[in-house]
Amino acid sequence: MKIKVELFGVCRELSDKDHIDLELDENSKIKDVRDQMIEIVKTKFPENNNYLEMVKKSAFSSKDEIVEDAYKLQNNDAVSIIPPIGGG
Amino acid sequence: MFHCDVVDIKNISLDKAQKFIESHKCGASLFFIGTVRDHNNEKEVTGITYDSHDAMVKKSFEEIYNEAIKKLDLQHPVAFVEHAKGYVPLGGISIIIAVACKHRKQVYDFSRFIIEEIKKRTPIWKKEHYKGEDAEWLDGQKVEVKK
Repeated sequence: MKIKVELFGVCRELSDKDHIDLELDENSKIKDVRDQMIEIVKTKFPENNNYLEMVKKSAFSSKDEIVEDAYKLQNNDAVSIIPPIGGG
Repeated sequence: MFHCDVVDIKNISLDKAQKFIESHKCGASLFFIGTVRDHNNEKEVTGITYDSHDAMVKKSFEEIYNEAIKKLDLQHPVAFVEHAKGYVPLGGISIIIAVACKHRKQVYDFSRFIIEEIKKRTPIWKKEHYKGEDAEWLDGQKVEVKK
């Protein structure tokens, strides 16, 4: 199934676009998105431990709500990666 | 009464905030303005780029406003919250929190509650720009996942 991951904060550095498209197995969950994002960072930025830590520490949201790793995804869902925040 | 938004720096305006919170029912009003300062972590800062998940930010602002009303003893509460998005140069305004209530204690409590909660949970990120064209995303607070 296809999942679009919208990028924010430091995670914008992971792509030239504002999102990353993932191809995941059927019945995948947010945990699978995180695992695949970790693999992308390891491949594209093998020397950058900061990016790796950021993806590990990030939350994910779906339909503007923070969701846990067990959250089940549907084909063509869009989710957002929410790295540690610091506005104001 | 409440207004919130995420806006480009050229649209962030104290006049707009003042007009929104004007009320004859309120005897106290308070303006909190966050601005870009010239140093952080011993580096010379020239500006900050703010990134934001706009829909979640607005939702978070509304939740914070509603929680403030429940937790604080506010009478006739009015609040205006706008956060800048994109590049804000040194001295530029990043956030305006304008509040009005019946009495002065309430506006201090109200304003403080809003900014402290924004810092804890609102999905906004800062990329600091330094003299010499170097830039880096700042570390932030990990978002809690409710189970």
